[in-house]
Amino acid sequence: MKGFNIPAKEKTPQVLFDTNKYLFEIKGISRPENVRDFYFPLIYKIKKYFENIIEKNQEEIFKDECFKFNFKLDYFNSSSAKFISDILVVIKELSEKGLNLKIYWYFTDGDEDMKEVGEDFSDMISVPFNFIMIES
Amino acid sequence: MKSYDVVVNHKGFINLGIIDNILHQLKTFLFHKDHEKLLRKRVYSLSVECLDNILKHSDLNEQHHELIKSYPPRFIIEKIAGDFIIHTGNIVFNKNMNELILKLEKLNNLDLEDINALYKKSLANAEISEKGGAGLGLIVMAKTTRQKIKFDFEKINNEFSYFAMQLNLKK
Repeated sequence: MKGFNIPAKEKTPQVLFDTNKYLFEIKGISRPENVRDFYFPLIYKIKKYFENIIEKNQEEIFKDECFKFNFKLDYFNSSSAKFISDILVVIKELSEKGLNLKIYWYFTDGDEDMKEVGEDFSDMISVPFNFIMIES
Repeated sequence: MKSYDVVVNHKGFINLGIIDNILHQLKTFLFHKDHEKLLRKRVYSLSVECLDNILKHSDLNEQHHELIKSYPPRFIIEKIAGDFIIHTGNIVFNKNMNELILKLEKLNNLDLEDINALYKKSLANAEISEKGGAGLGLIVMAKTTRQKIKFDFEKINNEFSYFAMQLNLKK
C-alpha cells in the first residue's frame, strides 16, 4: 500500500505517511472545520496498512528499523485531541501485536502545555514517548 | 504597554468565517504585544474552545432570528494588568441548562490534579458528536486557566436562557 501526504492548510496539519521511510508525521495546527472528515480516512488507512502486514506475517520488516510516529503539533483543539488520542490507541494496539513502532512527541522550548499534553497522552495509553524539545 | 486593553469585542451572529476573523484579530494583537509564547497559546486555545462552543452549542436556528437580535452571542477579551479575561454569552435551551450547571460546578470543585485525571478519562471515552464536538471544551478551559469558571444564566422564556461565562487567565 502506498502512503499519503496531506499538505498543511490554514486550519489543518500536514500529515505524512511514508511507507518507504517507515514514517508517520503530523505537523502544524489542527482545528479542522469537520474534524471527522479530516481524521477518519487517515486513521483508517494507517490501520489498514499495518493490519495487512500482520495478516501476511511480515512483522519482521520493522525488526531492525522501527516505524516512527512523529507528532510535531503547534496547536490542536479539543476535538482534534480526541482523534490524536485515537491514533495513539491504534499505535498501542499494533505495538501489542508485535510491531516495532515508536512515538516521538515534539514541543517548542517554553511550550510546557504541549509537553504536558504529550505526557497525558503517554500516560493514558501506557506507552512511553520520546520527548524532543525544539529551540524556539 | 497599556495596563488595560479590550482585545476583542464581538457582539452578534457567529459563524465559521466570523470565528476566523476574530482569531486573526487576536493573533495580530498577541504577536504585536510581545507576549510570552505560553500565554499567547493559552489565550488562543481558550478562544478557540469558547468560539467553538458558541457555534456548536448555541441551540438556535434561523427561526429564532428575533431572539438572536435581542440576545446576540458575545465574545469579549479584556487584558487587565497582564491578565486576560474572556467573556462569552449565548442562548441555550432550558432543558440543557441543568447538565451544563452540573458540569461547571463539578469542574469548579476539582483541583488541577483531578482536572487532569478527568481530562485523560474523558479523552479516552469521548465520542465525536454530529456537530463535531468531543465534549472536552469545558475541561480544557478549566485545565488551561487553573481558575474557577464564573457563569450565570438569565431566563429568556420557557424554552431558552442566556448563558454567560467568564474565564480568567493569569499572566
